[in-house]
Amino acid sequence: MAILINQDTRALIQGITGVVGAFQTKVMLDYGTNVVAGVTPGKGGTAIHQVPIFDFVQDAVEACHPNAAFCFVPARYARDAAIEVIEAGIPFLVLTAEGIPERDMLAILQYAASKGTRILGPDTPGIISPGKCKLGVHPNRMYKEGSIGVLSKSGALSYEVCKTLTEHGIGQSTVVGIGGGPLWGMTQRSALELFEADPETKAVVLLGEVGGNMEVETAAFIKERMSKPVIALIVGRTAPPGAQMGHAGAIIEGKEATAHYKIELLKQAGARIANQPLDIPRMIHEVGV
Amino acid sequence: MRLLEYQAKQIFNEHGIRVPKAVLITKSTGLPVLPLPVVLKAQVTVGGRGKAGAIRVVRESCDLASVLADLFRMNVKGQAVSAVLAEEMAEIQKECYLAVLVDKGAKLPVIVASGQGGVDIEEVARVNPGQIVKKHIDPTIGLQDFTVRYIARAMGLDDWTGLRVLLDQMLAVYREMDATLVEINPLAVTPDGLLALYAKVILDEKAAFRHAEQYTRLKLEQDSLTKTIKSPAECLAADRGITYVPLGGEVGLISDGAGTGMLTIDLIHDLGGHAADFCELGGLGNADRMRQAIEVVLSEPQVRSLLITLIGGLTRMDDMANGIADYLSAKEASVPLVVRMCGTQEEAGKAILHEVGIQPYDDLMQAAKKAVELARNGS
Repeated sequence: MAILINQDTRALIQGITGVVGAFQTKVMLDYGTNVVAGVTPGKGGTAIHQVPIFDFVQDAVEACHPNAAFCFVPARYARDAAIEVIEAGIPFLVLTAEGIPERDMLAILQYAASKGTRILGPDTPGIISPGKCKLGVHPNRMYKEGSIGVLSKSGALSYEVCKTLTEHGIGQSTVVGIGGGPLWGMTQRSALELFEADPETKAVVLLGEVGGNMEVETAAFIKERMSKPVIALIVGRTAPPGAQMGHAGAIIEGKEATAHYKIELLKQAGARIANQPLDIPRMIHEVGV
Repeated sequence: MRLLEYQAKQIFNEHGIRVPKAVLITKSTGLPVLPLPVVLKAQVTVGGRGKAGAIRVVRESCDLASVLADLFRMNVKGQAVSAVLAEEMAEIQKECYLAVLVDKGAKLPVIVASGQGGVDIEEVARVNPGQIVKKHIDPTIGLQDFTVRYIARAMGLDDWTGLRVLLDQMLAVYREMDATLVEINPLAVTPDGLLALYAKVILDEKAAFRHAEQYTRLKLEQDSLTKTIKSPAECLAADRGITYVPLGGEVGLISDGAGTGMLTIDLIHDLGGHAADFCELGGLGNADRMRQAIEVVLSEPQVRSLLITLIGGLTRMDDMANGIADYLSAKEASVPLVVRMCGTQEEAGKAILHEVGIQPYDDLMQAAKKAVELARNGS
């Protein structure tokens, strides 16, 4: 099972011939991801790592029937690339670029909603269902197949926590990076909904940070709809207000954006609060998973 | 990028939005030639000017020079005042609030309006939420007349056609300039129509590539007129485009991700230490960036140890190790270095570090403990 991607995922990679795209595609193939097609305008008809390359997403869809796409295209061209995937009818797109203009993101998200494409990102490492499929840039060795769902705003923080889980023998069903914001396709809430419905997932680890107020609706969802245990780690407890902490969305503006407010909210919703990655394996044992 | 008021008003002017007649004064220009009374407003990019006393009304010509001198001596939340906007006083019948911005939750542009202006809109939202109206704009539909009439009623305006013109102009600024906020607070109702007494415009720096010339000009103007007091490390980081937030402690920190960087400053705190900074390289750091980041963090004299915490996904550990090695081959580190390294290409990265005599940690907590301990013993 897992959520969003599994052994049946047929991946298309946009920007497969770039330095990063080519390298990371190889790492995905090594992990066992079924990459069926790549797209780079002007390179159609060639191949890389034995994956056929097309000029247009539509051509790749007709020839190879991908059901998920991963976009390595840089921020300034991401709008064009994303719209092409959505128009071709691929139901799931991971947008990894950081720094896509807000106006472009609004256009992408609105078009995606109207065509039924689910967008993950932007500014995300992607998604991995350990042992089944990886659509992302995660370091392979940090992951192990299992029953913990993980969702994170920060890529590196999810590697960190999954490394700790794996070292403690705790595997993951799916690890979803929703991205650093400040605009998101999938939200914490939409990922939690999928984890709640996934029979393989027994508990969820929620990794958050300062900035924005997404956790308000997340906490409400946990309180009203989640039957599975949620363990939350919110970083930036010691971050100063008003400073941009790396991610576009990680800035404390107002009370709701502080780590303490989010922690209190999630605690009241019934989530267990971890202070550091090492707390999480113990808490998972405590909830009996 | 938050524009200075006068810059935002210039843009308003170009789009036909009415603003008060005004003159920009710097220390080198003379006194403004405007009929009294006149409003003098310090040009800074931080909020809360009014409360800080950086907006002054002058009624007598004899007071003009001394009030200006007062303003030029001011420091508004760390920003020195180098420019003052002198504006003609308007005949105000009513003050309102009007803004166009991105609603991040709904993922749509939204118009926010209120019949209460000139006050903190967050405060109005908290105390009197019924006084605020919000209307989303579906880009495929655009702004409809009935929506404007609805907003006009909520604001207590008799004439909605003037509001229609103004909203179209604000939406043009929002669209054409890639703004994320176009705000008028207060928006004055005057005998001659609507008048933008204050203008706040925030531009989306992620879209700078579409407006290279204009954004650069606005930025340069701003840099010449605002002086934020910065440390040498902050200046160096800004020059190099490196994310760097000084935190005042003694454990220097570089991370290759924002989330792990924030986690590490929390861990350092929990271990009884204090982080000197938050410095992260983002997903696409390379050897050069790493070397430059070390230079930035070590240029802060308070730093007693340096913790580099790396867990590579997109970032390759061989690149990061090369950056560290490059720094150490050029000069000896002024403080002890603790490196935690794992992730993409970690074997290659660790081999490079071994050659320059660094034994990287695999565990973040152990590395953080070591860095805190070294900072304590070294000081």
